[in-house]
Amino acid sequence: MTTTPDFKGTHLFDRLCWAKENLDGVQSDYRVVYEDSVDECAKILVPDPNWMACALQGGILPPVWVYHELAKDEAQPDFKKHTRGYLLHTTEPMPAMTEEQAIEYLIMKDVPQHVWTDWNSGNKPKMVICRKEQLPSTREWRNAWKIADDITATDIAA
Amino acid sequence: MAGTIVADTLTHSTAGSIATNYVVEGSAKAWFSMNEATPVFNDSFNFTSITDNATGDKTVSFTSSMGNANYSVSQSNANSGTDYTRGTGGAYDHTVSASSYRYYSCGGSSASSNGYLRDDTRMKQIYIGDLA
Repeated sequence: MTTTPDFKGTHLFDRLCWAKENLDGVQSDYRVVYEDSVDECAKILVPDPNWMACALQGGILPPVWVYHELAKDEAQPDFKKHTRGYLLHTTEPMPAMTEEQAIEYLIMKDVPQHVWTDWNSGNKPKMVICRKEQLPSTREWRNAWKIADDITATDIAA
Repeated sequence: MAGTIVADTLTHSTAGSIATNYVVEGSAKAWFSMNEATPVFNDSFNFTSITDNATGDKTVSFTSSMGNANYSVSQSNANSGTDYTRGTGGAYDHTVSASSYRYYSCGGSSASSNGYLRDDTRMKQIYIGDLA
């Protein structure tokens, strides 16, 4: 197995260059389906294979809280450009994750926070992790796709 | 770091010189080739995920974030079948941030029909700008 160099303090872009040269992409079968607005159809998050390879390898990706800090900065009304980008590059990288841990990380990074912090508070779950074969096999009526009304958190846990 | 050359200028024996910041600032910071109808990345660099928001409506999220939302995106897109002959397709911004880019993919209008959102089987984009 390829050993990750000691990347602490190395620019994240350089780490990704190393990963591109040394790691094979991992196409995950997991998909995250979520609804962040009652007026819109369900959205489907698909992990990037090269990113998943980095997550499984360990020692490359920053902790997810770094992205949350940058998001806070960007939400400021006087934001012009990031001045704390160093957090991406100098924070101790994450150790190797399982595929399931990587999906959890991805949810906290790329799904709106109001969805994943409050995913099961309404009449039905707002977010479901499934396998790609559980999605419709064609994209017919794609803009009408919704999470099933009768799904429960128990169904998801099963 | 091993293998690192620190230099501000590269000089060719006859062709002249170029400052290395031309290379650093002028290089693509992210790119992908995607089949939006699946949707999956065929290959990519510097992305964490695709979000399939709806037909012709996608978001891609960066691993190494951009410095702000003022980066540039260049793309080519095409679809299979009769869409090849239906006007000029394109893509345009929906929501741009330093951490992600949401865009629409469009088929062009023709003499008898308006433009429309579609999932392109061959969407390719490159991103140029400053990293965070």
